[in-house]
Amino acid sequence: MDWLMLIGAGLSEMIGVGMMAKLQTHRSWRTVSLLIFGFGASFVLLSLAMRTLPMGTAYAIWTGIGASGGAVLGMLFYGESREMRRILCIVMILGAAIGLKLIA
Amino acid sequence: MSKSSKAWLQIAGAACFEVAWVIGLKHASAPWEWGITVLAILISFYVLISASRTLPAGTVYAVFVGLGTTGTVLADMLWFGEPFRMLKVVLIILLLAGVIGLKLTTSDGPKEQIKEVS
Repeated sequence: MDWLMLIGAGLSEMIGVGMMAKLQTHRSWRTVSLLIFGFGASFVLLSLAMRTLPMGTAYAIWTGIGASGGAVLGMLFYGESREMRRILCIVMILGAAIGLKLIA
Repeated sequence: MSKSSKAWLQIAGAACFEVAWVIGLKHASAPWEWGITVLAILISFYVLISASRTLPAGTVYAVFVGLGTTGTVLADMLWFGEPFRMLKVVLIILLLAGVIGLKLTTSDGPKEQIKEVS
């Protein structure tokens, strides 16, 4: 359950960061409320996940999901570069996160 | 002090607040502790965003994430009795390398090009 909450925290962080980027091009109440919802949910879920998980591990994985998820979204929908070393970085993050889950 | 060295100081400060709110999210219980945690979240994000106006956003995030992860892992082991496990530290370093690599290879879009010209 703690790992599911941690993944949820990473995903809602992606919503928050995405809305933050959107806010720079056009401002609307919908974007602002999604931004607040995204970050709010992210911090609540991270806090719940850290009840049982070590702080450093949870923070690292939370950041990792945010970064790799953001990059995947950028590649899929915003035409960001799909060069090999970026994909390798995503694989490294996922591999490390799975490894941390296995030794936890 | 030059504009960019001020921005680097801001990043270091933002990272301290980052570690503070992570500790708060795990250990806060009293309302005032939660208040400080929320305040630290707001300060760290605000400073981070203002630093990325002067320096390339990818670099700012990479350094910020590096400091934040190192800080939380150290705090865990030094103050909160988390045992030191080599494999865990290696995996966290691997994850960190992936995040930093990604941030550094993400282009900042037209904003950065404007900066290079000016």
